[in-house]
Amino acid sequence: MSLNPDIAAAKIITEEQLAKFIVDATQEVFSTMVMMDAEDEYPLQEPVRRFKCSITGMVGFAGIYSGVISVHCPVDLALKITSNMLGIECDEVNEDLNDAIGEIANMLGGGVKQVLSKGGQDVKLSIPTVISGEDYTVNSLSDIDCVVIPFKIGDDKFLVGLTLKKED
Amino acid sequence: MANVLIVDDSSTMRKIISRSLRQAGLPVDEVFEAGDGIEGLNVLSSGKTIHLVLSDINMPNMDGIEFVKMVRASGNNVPIVMITTEGGEEIIKEAIESGASDSIKKPFTPDKLQEKLGGLL
Repeated sequence: MSLNPDIAAAKIITEEQLAKFIVDATQEVFSTMVMMDAEDEYPLQEPVRRFKCSITGMVGFAGIYSGVISVHCPVDLALKITSNMLGIECDEVNEDLNDAIGEIANMLGGGVKQVLSKGGQDVKLSIPTVISGEDYTVNSLSDIDCVVIPFKIGDDKFLVGLTLKKED
Repeated sequence: MANVLIVDDSSTMRKIISRSLRQAGLPVDEVFEAGDGIEGLNVLSSGKTIHLVLSDINMPNMDGIEFVKMVRASGNNVPIVMITTEGGEEIIKEAIESGASDSIKKPFTPDKLQEKLGGLL
């Protein structure tokens, strides 16, 4: 998976720079709002499309760029994340879990938006969407427009993916 | 001690902000919550005494900028600080021009809340 060259050229930013930005934004969100340290394992060795017992939070972009930033997380780790964020024990998939993972996607989306749109008016963010299930797949329309960063917290792993397309 | 209204569509974020206000050592008494601008207006018009409003921008039904405009149009001068992922200069400028007092970008630390809100409470 790699970033579309048009996007890198338009923003004078390489895929590695964008990956570093996503890593920095993710680590900032986790250290300040989740109180967990997320260690990046970039680059991703193999594309991951199938998720088991997982939850995915997504926020879309629209405007001069379109795309989606997504957080894919095993439910066990998502429960720990939600418990840390809320300061209460969360032990089941419920509204708190969905909201917490959606809010993480939202904060990461805000961070990426700042790179794409200095003023903030020409790229709009969607309200977060969250899906979860025992076994599901997430497919991008084009792998060449994606950058995916693997992270680990202790022995648990999660992914942050960014799909971008520059609109004409 | 001050009463604070938190307007954010994320219940997680409302809880984090509420907890962070106390971690920051700010003199907060009651915290009221609203899930969007419309609910926020309802709280403000309910007769409760609110000393500070913290509002998200990107929300369904009524976003934070429209909320600020409606509050100011009602003649209410309560300080409103935007707490948002929307860190773009133009959006923040629009919020300030609409009547917001200041802005804080998510993610934030309790120290950042103390720095930004200490003078308002």
